[in-house]
Amino acid sequence: MRIFGILACVVGLVAGGFFATSNSSAHAVETVKIGLIEPLSGPIAAVGTDALQAMETAAEQINTSGGVLGGRMLEIVPLDNAMSAEKTTQQLKKAVDLGLSFIAQGIGSNHALNIIQFIGKHNKRNPDKAMLFLNHSAITTAFTNELCSFWHFRFDANVDMKVAGLVTQMGRDVGIKKVYMLNQNYAYGKSFQAAAHALIKERTPNIEIVGDELIVPFGKTQDFTPFIAKIKASGADTVLTGNWGPDLVRLIKYAAGANLPVQFYTIYGGLTSSVAGYGADAHKISLKQINEYHENDGNIAADALAFGNAYLEKYKDTWYSDRYRWLVGMLAAAIDKAGSDDPVAVGQALEGLTFPGPLGEVQMRASDHQIQTPLMVSSLSRDYKMPIMYKGNNFKIAFATDGVINREDTTLPTTCDMQRP
Amino acid sequence: MEVFVFSLFNGVLYGMLLFLLASGLTLIFSMMGVLNFAHASFFMLGAYFAYQISQPLGFWSALIAAPILVGLLGAAVERYMLRPVHRFGHVAELLFTFGLAFVIEELVQMVWGKVPVPYDVPESMNITAFAWQGLDYSAYRLFMLVISVGIFVALFFGLTRTRIGLIIRASLTHPHMAAALGHDVPKIFMWTFGVGCALAGIAGVIGGNVLGTEPGMAIQLGPIVFVVIVVGGLGSLSGALIASLFIGILNNMAISYDFSLYPIFKELGVERNVEGVLADLVNLTTGSIAPLLPYLLLVLMLIFRPRGLFGMRDV
Repeated sequence: MRIFGILACVVGLVAGGFFATSNSSAHAVETVKIGLIEPLSGPIAAVGTDALQAMETAAEQINTSGGVLGGRMLEIVPLDNAMSAEKTTQQLKKAVDLGLSFIAQGIGSNHALNIIQFIGKHNKRNPDKAMLFLNHSAITTAFTNELCSFWHFRFDANVDMKVAGLVTQMGRDVGIKKVYMLNQNYAYGKSFQAAAHALIKERTPNIEIVGDELIVPFGKTQDFTPFIAKIKASGADTVLTGNWGPDLVRLIKYAAGANLPVQFYTIYGGLTSSVAGYGADAHKISLKQINEYHENDGNIAADALAFGNAYLEKYKDTWYSDRYRWLVGMLAAAIDKAGSDDPVAVGQALEGLTFPGPLGEVQMRASDHQIQTPLMVSSLSRDYKMPIMYKGNNFKIAFATDGVINREDTTLPTTCDMQRP
Repeated sequence: MEVFVFSLFNGVLYGMLLFLLASGLTLIFSMMGVLNFAHASFFMLGAYFAYQISQPLGFWSALIAAPILVGLLGAAVERYMLRPVHRFGHVAELLFTFGLAFVIEELVQMVWGKVPVPYDVPESMNITAFAWQGLDYSAYRLFMLVISVGIFVALFFGLTRTRIGLIIRASLTHPHMAAALGHDVPKIFMWTFGVGCALAGIAGVIGGNVLGTEPGMAIQLGPIVFVVIVVGGLGSLSGALIASLFIGILNNMAISYDFSLYPIFKELGVERNVEGVLADLVNLTTGSIAPLLPYLLLVLMLIFRPRGLFGMRDV
């Protein structure tokens, strides 16, 4: 029986290999390649690997439904930058050598900025070999404001849009009177802080900011007790924070340990790695996140749910970062619309393109290449149908919807003055 | 006054955890002259072992077993890896432990993955012992304090008042004489290194569930431990205690009082909206740089008193 199984495998491998070879020899020049530059080794490799898996799942879906331009397949080319600036540049040069027209990236805004600048120069010097940058998660607002470029498209809501969503949801809760802000002292944390000040003043003038703190980022702050004491002393009922990683996990754990009676409004509180870090303390706190959707909401579009389910089936991980599906799906639609994979034509086709998202239509705004999308605020909850899963482990907790933020409420003006080719 | 006493108390709670971590490092240094860069990695291993053991057997078994395992591992590292390197001098030893820290981090990622593991405070001690200024303090926070104080007392008396302590100290200052008297000096070194690592392991067991158990924890906590032993004086147990408490309290005071340099600049005629390099300095508050203050202290200490508070020799 076992021998038979092995035989079957071998036959399958040979046959698969044969078909794959015949396939690639026939269409070798015809796959549309997307280079994905992410940390696939080093301390943040887990995040990079997740991004690669999501991109591959999305590309597979397009390919099983016939690919693009009447039968050409999409192919994701992984390029490891190990989260280092030099390696990002090396991989960009490699992408040029491979003749890739489409580059995707998203982990680390500093690397995204590097790519924007590299591609800007490259396209000026080699207009016949231009490249497009498809940004899935780098959310520094400036990329679609003063630093905007025709060659850059962002498929994730930027910091200001996410803060706008959080503040809008805070405005719906009449119990919120006093908010304490705690952020990481670097570019991202400061932009969160600035956006929160402006948006609270504009949208929820009745909410008082009773504290505004910047902390030394990236895990260097070990003891959060004094911050917890200050939050308590300020009388705040809500903490608004852009923190992520250990800076968020420790804040939550210390707050839970001291039974601090506040709710947390976060961008990244729902990342699987953070939820893993809270451990049992996740049950003791009120934590909210803002993102595209979560799997326990009853009103999610079937396509998004199907993508999440396919991912869960394959990798045993819960997945709700639907933007990877938008990126690949919209690229495929733009290629079909342009009738070619010429990057300039595809870029023009992407402008203003719409796509069915989990909460309604999303659209790539032509003026600054920033996706316009509804968002969802949800809380950690023990009342769920599907728990959060990671590598097959059941976290016995999941998210429940607090509110949907309509597209009108996440749409913000842009200062972009775009130069077009 | 209330804020002062409150910060003092919180500072002691944090400082004693730092001491627990630093005590093993300073013990190893004072006995063997080895500056162990991988010390925080043994702290991390303590936390991960405790997580693994507490899953089936509970916290109390982990509290006993995890430090013993870390200690045995430390002893094995000394016997089979560090000892051959020893004859090439202290620089070689230092480089060895430096490399070991990266190896341990990579191994931890391979075994337990790259995301944090849910290592929690035991349910039986996750109850409120008392409340102060509106914050609840769990029985576990007090337990951490008791363990740390107990370890200090045990170490202090063990080294200064017992026969074993006498032999250990003799092996350090006069290794050849101690060997001539029939003591197995290499063996003493091996167990000293093991006990030092076990102390880091205990810190991991009782600190890992409060600080979070993840592969980055060693790198984040490693540098601060060196500050503790340099400020306290290399090799001085009492110095490490005083320095840990001082750093813990400094951290809490800096955040609670949140001093600003602005009043000084205002006197000099510089306003808040100034442009350029000064802007950061004018708007700086001690709260936003609190975790960096110990490093400032380290630099000042090395300039003005290189041997630290209670050190016997210069760094």
